Amino acid sequence: MSDYQHYLQERDRIDYLYQKGYKISNIQENLEGALVEFQKAEEEKEILHILTAEGRKYFSVKVIQQNQ
Amino acid sequence: MADLSINLACIKSPNPFWLASAPPTNSGYQVQRAFEAGWGGAVWKTLGEPIINTSSRFAAVSFNGQRVAGFNNIELITDRPLEVNLKEIYETKKRFPNHAIIASLMVEPQQDKWHEIVKKVEAVGVDGLELNFGCPHGMAERGMGAASGQVPALVEKQTFWVKEVAQTPVIVKLTPNITDITVTAEAAVQGGADAISMINTINSLAGVDIHSWNTIPHVAGKGAHGGYCGPAVKPIALHMVGECARNPRVNIPISGIGGISNWENAIEFMLMGATGVQVCTAAMHHGFRIVEDMIEGLNNYLDEKGIASVSEIVGKAVPKYSDWGDLDLNYKVVARINNDVCINCNKCHIACEDTSHQCIDMLKDGKGNSILRVREEDCVGCNLCSIVCPVDGAIDLVELPNEFPPMTWNERQAAIGALGCAVDTVK
Repeated sequence: MSDYQHYLQERDRIDYLYQKGYKISNIQENLEGALVEFQKAEEEKEILHILTAEGRKYFSVKVIQQNQ
Repeated sequence: MADLSINLACIKSPNPFWLASAPPTNSGYQVQRAFEAGWGGAVWKTLGEPIINTSSRFAAVSFNGQRVAGFNNIELITDRPLEVNLKEIYETKKRFPNHAIIASLMVEPQQDKWHEIVKKVEAVGVDGLELNFGCPHGMAERGMGAASGQVPALVEKQTFWVKEVAQTPVIVKLTPNITDITVTAEAAVQGGADAISMINTINSLAGVDIHSWNTIPHVAGKGAHGGYCGPAVKPIALHMVGECARNPRVNIPISGIGGISNWENAIEFMLMGATGVQVCTAAMHHGFRIVEDMIEGLNNYLDEKGIASVSEIVGKAVPKYSDWGDLDLNYKVVARINNDVCINCNKCHIACEDTSHQCIDMLKDGKGNSILRVREEDCVGCNLCSIVCPVDGAIDLVELPNEFPPMTWNERQAAIGALGCAVDTVK
């Protein structure tokens, strides 16, 4: 799979969680990419492992929009 | 005809093209010949205690048949007595009163030695002084030149000593053989400099003869590092000029030096903050009359753009020179190949396939002709295909519409930090 196809998958997963009402609550970036934690309620958490550079840009845009 | 005259820290010259302190400005004969050719100013070859030079002294780097892509020298400052130089400076200034003559100076880092030479040189009517804190070879081993210029405290102190007695503007010439040239630029400002010039030459060894195993150049079979200049150093010099120009603590004019070979190069330096430029290697390669093309080209450029004075372009590109952390990560360009221009040499495909992002496909069109096509979704807009392409106009880098709002790395890190996450930032 090309990086671009991989990115599209990551973008869809991020969008899906936002559509479900989740918001990004924590980001841990490391040698393997970024672990992005989504939270809806106190108990409802999801973690996406974002590998692509475009994916990291995408969730960053979402964080900026979320903070506004 | 645009106004090409400049005023650099109150040193006036009819155009921004000065000869740098170097072999071309060794004598009155040469400087007068240069002024006759059209040069607006000259920085006289560095004055100090006369030295003894070696034979040979110069070497050049050719690249793919292009001679003097870079130039290396181990020549030192003037080898003539001060009185001889001063007499010729006086005569030259008398004959060319409207041209700028700046005396480059280098003495040991002692207050009385600076005072002595400044007074003697100013007495013959120079328009300014340039302190040589940059010569990287020979003199540096004696505690002068770059050895002084690499120590901010010495730059500040010696500039201060000169300013104690100087009646004319003082330019401090900086060495590039330092990690951050803005540190020594700031030291010059602290010492009271009226302007800075950069860059002096870069430590270098031009080559090694693979048959004799001698260095190039060599002196009786031995070599020593020299100073590198010429077209190859232009990007390094331009960066350093830009870094100083955008530093608010370096709030004095800049004289740009480093590989300037034509009027376009001069404009680049002026756009990046230089009030004027100094040239050496191009004059050594092609002779003094290259200034004719420089003047004509600069004038035509200004006229075509409707700019009345060359001073109006100084620093205009500086606001565009920023830090990596302030670049928009969401800006995107991609390569597009114009197959009606492309000659199918496949260099772009090879470059992309071997060393970049594998996004240029070799295909056949409807008639069975070989064509190259970029998969734009996989293209990162690195420019490599366009750089290696031998045909102008065969590859364009085109901007894509912004999919997302602009976002810099620093903005990203700030936003993630606002979530309470630990982040690194880039200055």
